Amino acid sequence: MIITEDVRKKFGSVDALASVSFTAQDGQTTALLGPNGAGKTTLLRLLIGLLQRDHGNISVDGVDPARDPIRVRRDIGFLTDQFGLYERLTTREHLDYFAKLHGMAKADIRRRTDEAIALLGLEDIIDRRAKGFSQGQRIKVALARTLLHRPRHFLLDEPSRGLDVMSTRALRRVLATLREEGSCIIMATHVMQEVTHLCDDVIVIARGRTVAQGSPRALCEQTGIASLEDAFVSLVGTEEGIAA
Amino acid sequence: MKRFWIVFAKEVTETLRDRRALAMLGLFAVMYPALLWLMMTKIINDATKADRETTEIVVIGAEHVPTLIGVIEQNGMTVDRRADMNEEEITALLGKRRHAAVVRVAPDFTSDYASMRPGRIELWFDSARDERAKVRRLKSALGAYSSTIAQARLLAHGVSPAALTPVRLQEYDTASGASRSANLIGMMLGMFFVTAFLISLNTAMDTTAGERERRSLELLLAQPVHPAELIAGKWIATSSLAVVGLTIELLLAHVILKWTPLEEIGMAWSLGYADLALVCLISIPLCLFAAAIEIALAMNARSFKEAQTMMSFAVLVPMIPALVVPMLDLKTAEWMYAVPVLAHQTLLNELAKGHAVPALAWLATGASSLFYAGLAVAFSTYRLKSERYVLSV
Repeated sequence: MIITEDVRKKFGSVDALASVSFTAQDGQTTALLGPNGAGKTTLLRLLIGLLQRDHGNISVDGVDPARDPIRVRRDIGFLTDQFGLYERLTTREHLDYFAKLHGMAKADIRRRTDEAIALLGLEDIIDRRAKGFSQGQRIKVALARTLLHRPRHFLLDEPSRGLDVMSTRALRRVLATLREEGSCIIMATHVMQEVTHLCDDVIVIARGRTVAQGSPRALCEQTGIASLEDAFVSLVGTEEGIAA
Repeated sequence: MKRFWIVFAKEVTETLRDRRALAMLGLFAVMYPALLWLMMTKIINDATKADRETTEIVVIGAEHVPTLIGVIEQNGMTVDRRADMNEEEITALLGKRRHAAVVRVAPDFTSDYASMRPGRIELWFDSARDERAKVRRLKSALGAYSSTIAQARLLAHGVSPAALTPVRLQEYDTASGASRSANLIGMMLGMFFVTAFLISLNTAMDTTAGERERRSLELLLAQPVHPAELIAGKWIATSSLAVVGLTIELLLAHVILKWTPLEEIGMAWSLGYADLALVCLISIPLCLFAAAIEIALAMNARSFKEAQTMMSFAVLVPMIPALVVPMLDLKTAEWMYAVPVLAHQTLLNELAKGHAVPALAWLATGASSLFYAGLAVAFSTYRLKSERYVLSV
């Protein structure tokens, strides 16, 4: 479970986050929905302790990422639209590297790697070097890496940007698996379709503030508007930077 | 500590698969000793050529000057007597590069000689050819011949030949072989250590600016690893490559310099294998320093290309002590052992001359490089932790 209370962050004189408060439950996919530049990436970086907040509280299963970032990260899977593959390493070596950094034992790495191969269909690329991988192959490797250490929390930053249909399906399959296992998933996105298809809970964020939280249906009821898209526009106050 | 080894192992694996890094290693570790060998061989050859080779001279009109021929032959030159030739024929003959020079004695030399008028002797040579030493010897033989005749004529008139030489010049050269060669060999030795910077360059850039370019650094920072462990892993991996390269280079260079007859040009290489092992050991801190400073610089570049531009300046810095200090002809002083590269260069130079190097100098050489390496690593770690850096990855 991830809880934030009145989190603020300034870069110079700019308020990147003015006041963010929400609770993301275990066993749910929570969308962090906001237009471009709303502060989604900054928020995720605060959650893994890459940046320090100026104000407020953050708790990741009771641990403050500002105090003990290493402990928090050990239980977080982090995926961005940049998959960060090493061209001269094979898929297996890539998975090994990150699994070892998470302190996994050899036997566990082997077992989890076999599971990931089955779940994502990595058979043909597991012992190939990443150079020349297609976008779909890249995200599969990145997904395998993210879930290999079975973290309790998943942070995804615009994961579906630039993905084809097959890759999106792989992503959905992984998210469904994780949700069943009771993980707490936060997905930053500005794509409406992902929200309606994948998410149980939506946090709407605009200009660095959380403006609403609830299930897609609850948000529609709250605004009195039937479609989530229109509800979102009404909550954010602008159509800029939103994709259908 | 355990995660340091994980990062280290991964960087080493990647480097060993990086053709560019390996090519740099092979090139610099082998190329420099090879160049050194070529250069030394050429210098020694040129210096001793005049002694070893017979100098062949063509003399036209030799029948007029039998005494001169005798003087030339006494000076170790072979005389090839020819009939008269015109200018083109002489030029063509010299163009064949067999004869060092052509001496043409004018047909009226004998009559001029008899009437005590200056007899005409022409000396033809090609100054574009590297035969200056031979021509100089021929000229001095001609000079000796001329003054012998002058002295004989003066004696015949009852004048002491000493009247012709009011000044007797005697030259003394106090340079010892070692000091004469100090500049050249000092410069050469300095260049040995610059290799540490060149070999580690590619890996230093690939593990920092390269990670940023591929956008894997942000991901790496989101893992449960301390920035210090990341930097240390990359640093030691980069240095290891430089240590391997520098050791190969020093071994090769040692074998080459041992087998080159340096004493013929007044140079010395009096290093034993024990000294060499110590030099290799003391080079490890230098490799650590080179890798640390390059990582500290390259991590600020956003792409491999940007890093390359930055590093071309960075590599010039260690070359300054390597090239400039020998030119300044400074005396070995204690402060030199506190400057990386210069310290190693001075140390090796002293050893090459056969001087004993005090233990303190060894200690200072190692400690100074380690100290600066520590500073650079601390800076890199600090940078990697800073929010401004995280925002820009």
